[in-house]
Amino acid sequence: MVQSKKQKYTFLAFCLVPTFIMFVIFTLYPLFSGLYYSFFDFSGSSQNMEFIGLDNYIQLINDAIIPNTIIHDYFLVVTKVIGIMIMAMFFAVALTQLKIKEAPFYRIVFFFPNIMSVVVIGILWTFVYNPDLGLVNSALEFLGLESVARPWLGSETWALPSLVLPSIWAGIGLFLLMLMGGIANISKSYYEAAEIDGASQWQQFWKVTLPLVWPQVKISVLYIVITTLNGSFILVQVMTGGGPNNSTHVMGSYLYQQAFVQYNFGYGATIGVMILALSLITVLLLQLLMRRDKVEY
Amino acid sequence: MKRSVGEILGKTGIRIPLILWTIAVLYPIFWMFLGSFKSNAEIYRNPWGIPESLNWQNFADAWTNYNIDTSVFNSFIVTAVGAILTLALAIPTAYAIERLKFRGSNFLFILYVSAMMIPMVLGWIPLFFLLMEFNLLDNIFGLAIVYAVSQLPFTIFVLTSFLSTIPKSLEEAAAIDGMSPYGILVKIITPLSMSGIITVTIMNTIQFWNEYFMALIFLQSSENYTLALAIDFISSEAQYTNAWGTLFASLIIAIVPVIVLYAIFQRRIAKGMTEGAIKG
Repeated sequence: MVQSKKQKYTFLAFCLVPTFIMFVIFTLYPLFSGLYYSFFDFSGSSQNMEFIGLDNYIQLINDAIIPNTIIHDYFLVVTKVIGIMIMAMFFAVALTQLKIKEAPFYRIVFFFPNIMSVVVIGILWTFVYNPDLGLVNSALEFLGLESVARPWLGSETWALPSLVLPSIWAGIGLFLLMLMGGIANISKSYYEAAEIDGASQWQQFWKVTLPLVWPQVKISVLYIVITTLNGSFILVQVMTGGGPNNSTHVMGSYLYQQAFVQYNFGYGATIGVMILALSLITVLLLQLLMRRDKVEY
Repeated sequence: MKRSVGEILGKTGIRIPLILWTIAVLYPIFWMFLGSFKSNAEIYRNPWGIPESLNWQNFADAWTNYNIDTSVFNSFIVTAVGAILTLALAIPTAYAIERLKFRGSNFLFILYVSAMMIPMVLGWIPLFFLLMEFNLLDNIFGLAIVYAVSQLPFTIFVLTSFLSTIPKSLEEAAAIDGMSPYGILVKIITPLSMSGIITVTIMNTIQFWNEYFMALIFLQSSENYTLALAIDFISSEAQYTNAWGTLFASLIIAIVPVIVLYAIFQRRIAKGMTEGAIKG
């Protein structure tokens, strides 16, 4: 190539620098700046920004709502991982192994909620749970179970568990696709061999399918965990706003309330640091836990 | 023969959960769709049934009385500007990382990709003040910039993997013919990677059209609301005014463009999503 060094570097700079500058300004700087804010008493105007060292962190430790927000987040993480993985795995095996003619139809329908906005899903499900008009209570009445019907999202006990169903409803499609992709890559000869050895369908699932789709299972679980810890607050904000009586607040919705409703930006940033730290620790721990010897082909 | 009978029974059995979940997915959406044609009285009298008539009044109310028209326009601008800006920033970077081996290219790639795993909610607090400083708070163009940068890691990730499948010989031939690297990027690489660009752009478009939380934080006045904020607003109003039909109509207005995209690009969307599934 007839190109001087200078021309080459100019072109490289043209490709990389504008993007990198935007990334630094709108992604890296805010993250580090958030960390910095967490050491200040900061209510929004720069005149009132006072360095207070670790006081926000001391407040965090003594804040009675914080442990609940953490528990709520991990409750959602665990129930979503279990619910989504079991159902997605069941559907994935059904749609790939059992030669169902209309499998593409199910695949398309089950994925559909994945493209809907969380705000639409949240409002829709607020309706499904509506005490007077909602599908849940209407269905219970139809089945003669009026006694079980209740204002689901208005109940301190039931509001948080009620958030799990829409999360699973909205989440399954993506993981179904990932697992189906994994299963489709498994060579037919393994199943033939297992068949000859007299393995039942159930044994084939545990001995062949599951070990061979383990990479997909692992990535799906990690993905559910990350997106839940980083994004569960959106559904919470839309459906309950953290209520009733803080019973559904997760870390992110509490951060939103502290920073953008009550203007405790410094304390909000401290909650953000906690979310960041817990997410990273959780992801590292999970990767250790799910390390499983690679299956030799 | 005995075996096939068992297989038929097994298949019927397996269809029951599949059909039940299909109903669970479609029924609430269908219900919302029917509700958008019902008057309030009819929603209370008959929440489950088919509407008595195709009453478009709810759509007209949402469109004019609740300013959905403005919000649709705003969402459209934010989505289009965001999607174009993402491409303008991501294509050259993806090309440089994948094709121009330079010192630190690997580091830069890892830096961008690891940003997909980081929770951004901490960054939103300083971002709020940064936008204020730039006079971009409560501004749909400010929001579009934030959106574009937020999707950079995913877009760069998908485009680099796509670019690696394009044969190098075409660029080399063009370079020998005396084409500048800028020419190669615009006239050779961009058209050749169109399929990847389209996939990633559909994904970004859906993401920007649907986004709610950053819009909630960074937009304040109702004339700047995106659709997500507008329907959230109608939803909280409806607690007092009981304008459920109007709310359903605005939800339908919000999802119809996405349904159309999904109907056309179903396979690409599914592929794009699973490819970028590591994003946070």
